[in-house]
Amino acid sequence: MTSAGTVEPGSTPEGLVLTQVSKAFGGVTAVKDASFSVMLGQIHGLIGPNGAGKSTVIGLVTGFLRPDSGDIRFGAHDLNRMTPEAIAQVGIARTFQKATPLVGLTALENILVGMHTRYHGGVLAALVRTSALRREERGMAERAQMILERFGLADDANTDAGDLPFGKLRFLEIARSMVLEPQLLLLDEPAAGLNRVEAARLSALIQGIRSTGTGVLIVDHDVPFVFGVCEQVTVMNLGQILASDHAAKIYENPAVREAYLGTQRAQTEAGA
Amino acid sequence: MAFLLCGTVAVAVLVGGSPYWMYNMTVVALFATAAIGLNIMLGYAGQISFTQSAFMAVGGYGSAILGTKLAVDPWLAMIFSAVLAAIGALLIGIPLLRLRGHYFGMASFALALGTPSFLLAAASLTNGPLGIAGVPPLRFAGVSFLDPIPIYLLAWGVCIGAFLVEISLLKSHVGRAWRAISTNQDVARSLGIDARKYKLLTLAIAAVMASLAGSLYVEFQQYVAPDIFDIGLIMTIYLIVYAGGRGSIAGPLVGAVFYIVVPQLIGSLEQFQHLVFSALLIAIIVLRPNGIMGRGRQYAPVERILPLWVQRRLRRDYD
Ligand SMILES: Nc1ncnc2c1ncn2[C@@H]1O[C@H](COP(=O)(O)OP(=O)(O)OP(=O)(O)O)[C@@H](O)[C@H]1O
Ligand SMILES: [Mg+2]
Repeated sequence: MTSAGTVEPGSTPEGLVLTQVSKAFGGVTAVKDASFSVMLGQIHGLIGPNGAGKSTVIGLVTGFLRPDSGDIRFGAHDLNRMTPEAIAQVGIARTFQKATPLVGLTALENILVGMHTRYHGGVLAALVRTSALRREERGMAERAQMILERFGLADDANTDAGDLPFGKLRFLEIARSMVLEPQLLLLDEPAAGLNRVEAARLSALIQGIRSTGTGVLIVDHDVPFVFGVCEQVTVMNLGQILASDHAAKIYENPAVREAYLGTQRAQTEAGA
Repeated sequence: MAFLLCGTVAVAVLVGGSPYWMYNMTVVALFATAAIGLNIMLGYAGQISFTQSAFMAVGGYGSAILGTKLAVDPWLAMIFSAVLAAIGALLIGIPLLRLRGHYFGMASFALALGTPSFLLAAASLTNGPLGIAGVPPLRFAGVSFLDPIPIYLLAWGVCIGAFLVEISLLKSHVGRAWRAISTNQDVARSLGIDARKYKLLTLAIAAVMASLAGSLYVEFQQYVAPDIFDIGLIMTIYLIVYAGGRGSIAGPLVGAVFYIVVPQLIGSLEQFQHLVFSALLIAIIVLRPNGIMGRGRQYAPVERILPLWVQRRLRRDYD
């Protein structure tokens, strides 16, 4: 952690900073010279059409993918060379675009897996089942139950995660990543497949997470959802950043409207 | 349930005092111990691995060489071999567990294939194909563990110890991490769980269990030879885990009983013995594809070959 003294005067309190990041898969350039930053305590949207490179950005930030060039920093941490588990441990959590239930584990156990790094007891304590560890285990289970309640999953604590309906699974996945108490939370299309009521509930939960000082990056196609909840929006297309600014400014940016919002609206109107 | 049954059988065998059954049940305990190690790795952490026969060889040959050439106390030789096996597991696992799933499996299969050749080649230590005879037996306070009752009790003591290790770790956050890694490694890592470290832990635990089983076997046979640790051994341990039910606590025990005891029970069938055993094995694969004690939905595509009324019956059992 950088102490206040080492921060350069005039620097912004940014959490995540990407500088000129590029990533190609074989011949396909998924992300090209992407630069933007996500501040802590803010809700930041990342929008763009299919194949724009949004999920690739999340993969790069969380260490599942390595950038070909460029720099990804989080506070004092250079994320370029860190493993996914190390990145999670410095306070960056993520969800995945596709459904990721830990099948064979109950909803409660899924949450407890998210709390894994918070255990003090190690393997030896587990082996002899020390009373300290048993106490810790009870405390964790109680907390996990509270978190399930907060996410509307209290009645599903003992349901196998693989048997949960889609909407509930989405909330479980977000709850599971949140119990790390991350400083930065990256959500890959959290609202996809949710109905209006669920999406509204999700917005409220995300605002609750933000109010504790956590930065949230939301990747989504759902333009009303993103502009409804995000303060800051970044627009991607074909691997490049078209614009990154306050949501209101993005909404009025003619280039963005042309490239993305315009086509969306045209599609919506054509569909209606 | 299965434990209660096995416990009853174990005590009955002891009380019955038949040396023949005591011998068989001792072998059951040793196979079960090695199989528990594989079950932790494969059944819970989801890591395909063929290392168990090589680590049994570390225990067997470790005890034999230390006991005969260096005159080390057999108990110490057993412990020292187990430590060696754990170190070996780390040396293999640290570089090779960087490989994902199947690739580690393949690399470890090479290890299983190479074990007998290595033992033959290292003749100055192992006496090559002749093996090592006259391995000093375990003794404690005037009791020799060559006698059926002491070795029986010792083997089951070690086996129960292995079960306790398995159960206490599985109940804890460590076991939960294993299960998470096994269902979705990326999710586990995204939650800060060091998947490689936890797989390495299962490999080391499995190595210690295999090594202890190998040591005990050799110290009570007083003899070891390379062909004991051929590819058939690891296949047997796999069969035990799959037939018993991978990812089930009682699975390795039930599998070991199935593998050792059933052929003895049907021994009177003489030439039909193998045929009947194979038929039983196929019956398990068809009817209980997750193993006798396997959990979850017991379903296999092979069910489709059964007559419809049987299929319907089976389905009813699931719900
Ligand atoms: N592992 C991979 N191997 C090869 N190509 C990939 C891989 N991952 C992504 N791509 C390609 O990179 C480009 C960007 O993909 P990405 O998944 O980041 O897009 P996205 O913006 O998340 O799209 P969507 O909205 O459909 O989820 C696409 O052309 C995709 O086909
Ligand atoms: Mg995507």
